[in-house]
Amino acid sequence: MRELALHILDLVQNSLEAGASHVLLAIIEDSSADTLTIRVSDNGRGMDDATRRRVLDPFVTTRKTRRVGLGLPLIDMSTRQCGGYLRIDSKVGEGTEVEAVYRHSHLDRPPLGDLVATVKTLIVANPELDFVYRHEVDGTAFTVATGELTSILGEMPLTHPDVLAWLGEYLAAEEVKLYGGAKHEND
Amino acid sequence: MTVNDIVKSLPLTVVAGGDGLGAEVTGGYVSDLLSNVMGHAAAGNIWVTMQGHQNIVAVASLAGLAAVIVAGGAVPERETVAKAESEGIVLLTTALPSFAVVGLLYQSGVKGQ
Repeated sequence: MRELALHILDLVQNSLEAGASHVLLAIIEDSSADTLTIRVSDNGRGMDDATRRRVLDPFVTTRKTRRVGLGLPLIDMSTRQCGGYLRIDSKVGEGTEVEAVYRHSHLDRPPLGDLVATVKTLIVANPELDFVYRHEVDGTAFTVATGELTSILGEMPLTHPDVLAWLGEYLAAEEVKLYGGAKHEND
Repeated sequence: MTVNDIVKSLPLTVVAGGDGLGAEVTGGYVSDLLSNVMGHAAAGNIWVTMQGHQNIVAVASLAGLAAVIVAGGAVPERETVAKAESEGIVLLTTALPSFAVVGLLYQSGVKGQ
């Protein structure tokens, strides 16, 4: 994949397909450890150990339309090419946590991509989902939680065009602040 | 032109999927970005890449490719070889860099797409 944001969409989609009602997406950039971590935790149905060990095999998929599934296998490949790893913890009936770790400075590491658009897409496409997005750069972080937004908005739906426009601007401004006002790698 | 014709004229080693050497090669594609290959390679193409992960077998299978050449002296992972064998995907390796392999393929009559 050209951008890590596409992997993020894949990961959250997996959580939704596992029946999750709560998903936490955390992106953690740490320059001293030289790591970029993408962590998605959900309260979906989870997997047993045998299934968990098989999900990195591209010829294993829950999809019925074709017999190849590349979501997790592609993330596994991209992390390993960048001196990182993919870790999957899961408990049946409790949920799954997937952590993709990249060496931040690795030449082959794909850029994060458009996080603002990605987070907006996830929120709009899943207005009922209790979704928390947290982005941390060297100890500074910001968090957006749809649960909080919904309680502030009251009757107004998250998908209202005015809310979305505000959300886009808010996310963009917070992302800029995270990088100390410096330009993001995608700009 | 079959995969076997290409194997005979280029410095390629058959690593797995030898049963498929009779497949007709319709053209070629080169990229290390798997999502790009899925979107742009045509069925029957021979694909040149430096990736050695088992995902290349999945992509070759999805796209119906005639063969995969792992170039640049890259070594396909053990799982990749096993998957290519069980899925019937012809897996070839070469010490030549991708650019040189593509040049030789062109000279022997394999064109893009």
